[in-house]
Amino acid sequence: MREKISQVMGIFEELPGDAAPVGDVVAAGNAVSTKATEHRRVDGFPRAAGVFRGAGFSKDAVVAGDAVLPVLPALAELLPAGGLARGSVVAVDRSGLLCLALVAAASAAGAWCGVAGIPDLGVAAAAATGAEPARLLLVARPGPSWPQVVASMLEACEVVVVRPPARPSAQIRRRLEGVLRRGGGVLVAAGEWEGAPVRLRVDRRAWAGIGDGYGSLRACRAEVVAEGRGAVARPRRRWLWLPAPDGTVAPDETAAAGRAGFPGGVAAAAKASLRAAR
Amino acid sequence: MKAALKTGSAGEPARTLAVWCPGWPEEDTGSAEARAFGQVVTVVEDFCPEVEVLRPGLCLLGARGPARYFGGEDALAQKVAGAVAARGFTCHTGVAGGQFAACLAARAACPGSSGRPGEPGEPGEPGGSGASSVVVPPGGNRQFLAAYPMHVLAGPALASQLARLGIKTLGDFAALPARDVASRFGAEGTAAQRVARGQEPRRLAAATPRADLSAALEFDPPVHAEPAAFAAKGLAEQLLAGLAARGLSCVRVRVEVTGADGRESTRLWRHDGLLSALAVAQRVRWQLDGWHPAQAGRDSGPADEGSGGITMLRLVPDQLVPDEGRQLGLWGDDLVSGRVERAAVRLQAMLGHESVAHPLLAGGRGPSEQVVLVPFGDVRDARFPADRPWPARVPPPAPATVYPVPLAARVIDAAGAPVTVTGRAVVSAPPDALMAGDSPWLAITAWAGPWPVTERWWDERNATRRARFQLVTEDGIAWLAALERGRWQIEARYD
Repeated sequence: MREKISQVMGIFEELPGDAAPVGDVVAAGNAVSTKATEHRRVDGFPRAAGVFRGAGFSKDAVVAGDAVLPVLPALAELLPAGGLARGSVVAVDRSGLLCLALVAAASAAGAWCGVAGIPDLGVAAAAATGAEPARLLLVARPGPSWPQVVASMLEACEVVVVRPPARPSAQIRRRLEGVLRRGGGVLVAAGEWEGAPVRLRVDRRAWAGIGDGYGSLRACRAEVVAEGRGAVARPRRRWLWLPAPDGTVAPDETAAAGRAGFPGGVAAAAKASLRAAR
Repeated sequence: MKAALKTGSAGEPARTLAVWCPGWPEEDTGSAEARAFGQVVTVVEDFCPEVEVLRPGLCLLGARGPARYFGGEDALAQKVAGAVAARGFTCHTGVAGGQFAACLAARAACPGSSGRPGEPGEPGEPGGSGASSVVVPPGGNRQFLAAYPMHVLAGPALASQLARLGIKTLGDFAALPARDVASRFGAEGTAAQRVARGQEPRRLAAATPRADLSAALEFDPPVHAEPAAFAAKGLAEQLLAGLAARGLSCVRVRVEVTGADGRESTRLWRHDGLLSALAVAQRVRWQLDGWHPAQAGRDSGPADEGSGGITMLRLVPDQLVPDEGRQLGLWGDDLVSGRVERAAVRLQAMLGHESVAHPLLAGGRGPSEQVVLVPFGDVRDARFPADRPWPARVPPPAPATVYPVPLAARVIDAAGAPVTVTGRAVVSAPPDALMAGDSPWLAITAWAGPWPVTERWWDERNATRRARFQLVTEDGIAWLAALERGRWQIEARYD
C-alpha cells in the first residue's frame, strides 16, 4: 500500500498542465472563479499543486490579492474554484479530518488559521495533513458571542473553522458573510450553514489495516461528495484517502482507475465480504 | 579572605549564616503566623537573594559572598540581626562552617538561651556579649561544638546509648576513631560523627523564596471602571519598579479586580517584560470592559457606585524570570504578526487569557497528551518534547477528534455482556457493539487491541493503567477506546 501512496504523491509532484484537475471546473462564470482561472493560466499549473510541493518554503504563497486560497490537490477537484474562494463559506458535514484537510494547504503556505468552537480538535491530525500548528489560533469555547469571536478571527486569519454551537440564524449568517466579503477570508463551517455555496460530506468510508481483533487503523478510503450551488449543483464525488497511512489526505487512485477494490488488502476485503454475506 | 575562599580547614563545610528568631511556631508551616516569617526572609534577602528557610523562625544563607561585600562575617552577622530587629522581631545570627554549627552559633547568640529541651546547656562561647551574633572562626567548628551535649546532634536512641558508654559531649564523640564508630553505629553514627567533627554531609540547597511582588490598591468608596483603570497606571509603575529592583521580569501579569458586590474577576495577561505601565493599565481597562458588559448604572453617576463599583485592584506578576532583556528579531518577529497578535489580544480581552490557545505538539502515548494548548502569548514550551520515542504510543494516523475529557462509553459482546480485559491482556469476548456518550448503540465491524499501557506507576497521582482498543463501527467511524478500571472511555474519534 505504501507504494501505492507514493505513486499518488508522485503524480502530484509532476502535475502537468493538462492534468490540472481544476481546468474544466471553472465554468460557472462567477467573478471569483474567473479571476482564479486567469491566475492559474499565468502560472501554468494549479496553485494548489505548487503549494503542496512547497509547503515549507513559500511564505508568500498566500498573497493578499489571490482570489483563491490553496487546498490539498486531493480536494481541489471537489471545489468549484479549485481552492477556497476568498469571501466564501464552505460547509463540511460531520467529518473532523475533512475540515482540517481543507485548511491544511493554506496553513502550510503561510496563512493563519483560526478555529472556534471545536474543543476536541485533533491538532496532531491537523499537523499530519500539512497544517502548521504554530499558525493555529484556537478558541475552544467561544460561548454565546461566537459570531463576534469569528469576526475578530477573520480580521487576523485567512481561514476560520467554526462549529456553531447552534444552527446559526439568518441574521448571524448575513453578518458574517458580510465580514467575509469585506475581509476576503474563508469560513469553513463544521456543521450546518444554510446557503453555503459548497457543502462537503463524507458519503461512505472503509478503514484499512484493521481486522477482527488484529492489526490497527492505517488508512481510510472515503467517498467525499461536494454539493451546493452553481458549478456544484450537480454533486461531485471523489474517492480520497482520508487519511492515507502517513496522515495526509490524497486522492485514491485505485478508485479513479476503476478498480473498485478494498484498500486494506486482501484480508480486509475478504473480511468485508464475509460481513456482507452474514 | 583566603581562608574563606577555601571552604574552611579540615574539610569544614562552606561558611553559613543562620538567622534565628525565637518564638515562632516550629511545626505548623501552613499557619498565618508561619507565613508571616516571610517578612523576615524579605529583610534577609536584601543581603543575599538565596535564602533557605529551614522552618518558620530559622533560615540560612551562604555567608561567603555577602561577607566579602559587607565587610567581614562579623559585620554581616550584626547587620542582618540589626536589620531584622529593626522590623520588630527578636533575632540572633550566627556564622560558622555548615548548617548545624551555624544554627548552634545563632542559638548561642541568644543571651538567655533557654526554653527548648534541645537547647545547649552550656554554650561553648560566652555568647554575643550584647550584640546578638556569634561568629565561629573558620576552622574553629570542632572546638566550638566540642562542649555541646550529645543530644543536640543525635536522636534520643543514639544519644542515650552513647551516654551509657560514657560519651557525653560532641567533643568526646568526635574524638572516637571513625572506623570504630562506623562498625558500631553504622551509617547513622558515621554521619553524626562527621557533623560532630565540624564536617557536614549535606550542602546548602538554596531556593529562591517567593516574595510578594504584587501591587494592590483599595478604593474607598468604590469607583467605576474608568478611575480604576487610571489608578492602574500608577499601580503598574509600582509593580514594574519592584520587579526591576530585583532584576526580574514576568511572563504574565495577573489582574485581580474585586467588586463592591463581592464579584471577582481574575485574568492573566501576557507581559514578557515588554509592557509599559501604560500598556498594563490598558489591559486593566479591557478587563474592566469585559467584566461589566452592560452595567446599567455605569454612566449614571456616583449614585449607584455601591452596586457596580470596584473596591480593589491587584496586579500580581506571574512566572518570574530573570530579566535578561529581549532581543527582537532583526527582521521582526515573523512568527506572530502584529495583526494576529492584536486579534488574539482582543479575543483574550473578551474571553480571558486562557481561552485563546496556540497549540504546540508534544510527546506522549495517548492523542490527548500529544498536544499542549498554550495560552496565546505565553512561553511555548512542552514538558515532553515530541521528538522522543514513545514506545506503546497509539500508532498513526492521528485521530481528527480528540476529546478533552474522555467520553464515557459502553462496549458489549455478542451476548450482551460488558467486554472486559484480564490482567494478562486477554479480552473476555470480541466486542460487538459500542455506545459512545449519548449516541445510540452501534455495531462494531472491526476492532484491534487490547494494547495495555501502564504509565507512571511510580507516581501515585498520575499513574494510569489501561488497555486501548481501536473500534470501527457500522457508520464507518473509527474510535480510540480505552478500558480503565473496568470502565470504557472514548479518547478520540477518527472521522
